[in-house]
Amino acid sequence: MKATGRLDLMDRRLLQEAQDGFPLTLRPYASIAKKLGVSETEVLERLNRLHQKGIIRKIGPALNPGRVGLRASTLVAMKVPGNRMRKVAKLVSRYEEVSHCYQRDNEYNFWFTVAAHDEVELEKVLEEIRLGASIAEDDVLDLRATKMFKVDVRFQLV
Amino acid sequence: MKILLAVQDGIPIVREPFSTIAKQLGLKPEEVVKRLQRLREEKVIRKFEVFIRKRKVGITANAMVVWMVPSNRTQEVGEFFAGFKEVTHCYERRTVPDKWRYNLYTVIHGFKRKTVKEVVKRLSDASQVEDYLILFSVKEFVRRSSGRVRPEDLRTPRTNGRLLSGT
Repeated sequence: MKATGRLDLMDRRLLQEAQDGFPLTLRPYASIAKKLGVSETEVLERLNRLHQKGIIRKIGPALNPGRVGLRASTLVAMKVPGNRMRKVAKLVSRYEEVSHCYQRDNEYNFWFTVAAHDEVELEKVLEEIRLGASIAEDDVLDLRATKMFKVDVRFQLV
Repeated sequence: MKILLAVQDGIPIVREPFSTIAKQLGLKPEEVVKRLQRLREEKVIRKFEVFIRKRKVGITANAMVVWMVPSNRTQEVGEFFAGFKEVTHCYERRTVPDKWRYNLYTVIHGFKRKTVKEVVKRLSDASQVEDYLILFSVKEFVRRSSGRVRPEDLRTPRTNGRLLSGT
């Protein structure tokens, strides 16, 4: 069974529409309903169901980190021994400065992104994590971005 | 700022979601909508949308692909990769001498690893960049919005004051 099986076509069209252009108006769900040719009530029912099922994480803004005062950020890769992975993940997850953290299949197997208000705060968080996780400096890559070409996290569902 | 704090974790799924928010803040609904529109125009809000837990809809193959692109081609190749709808993120990042030579990063999501690999092959063929690694995610530990407003930000005026004016 295809994994999208539990979403019917209207669910998928609705998620696609709300992903691609959510109207900032007094009755946004009515505008979406009109576009899809269904009632506002149906849109609300479907979205509420998808939210309850955990398929929708939230309906809201993606803020531009640099514009809300988070001016220093980076991507970090570390070599974490397999038997310490869970402990390190737990430690890293506690930092609200960390937005993404994944185990990946590479020699550098632990990857996370950090955003802080300034360089000093960022360095402090990185150092705390590295020491707290007992990872040698040599096993850490600090991969600062030098240019952003694209951030557009939308998925093709229909 | 107060408005961002009120909406950043999600607006309610009711007929007039911004009226609910407005009531909490003691503002007029029209005011909330107008300010959010302006924050979007000013790019403080990068995007306003529904956020999907991709794994729950079957998008379980998530790869960060790292590419070694000759420095005189990063601009061209970066723009080219960014044009693919399957690519959700595309960044140039610094390298680490003797340890990490990859300088261009793309994130690609798909229903299956096979599909993701096909996309990577297409990117590689079309760009003639052949030195790359596909780093599939094995486990997701943290996934949250990267730009967040904190309650304490309301009390601490920032020196450049950009956000404080009118938000």
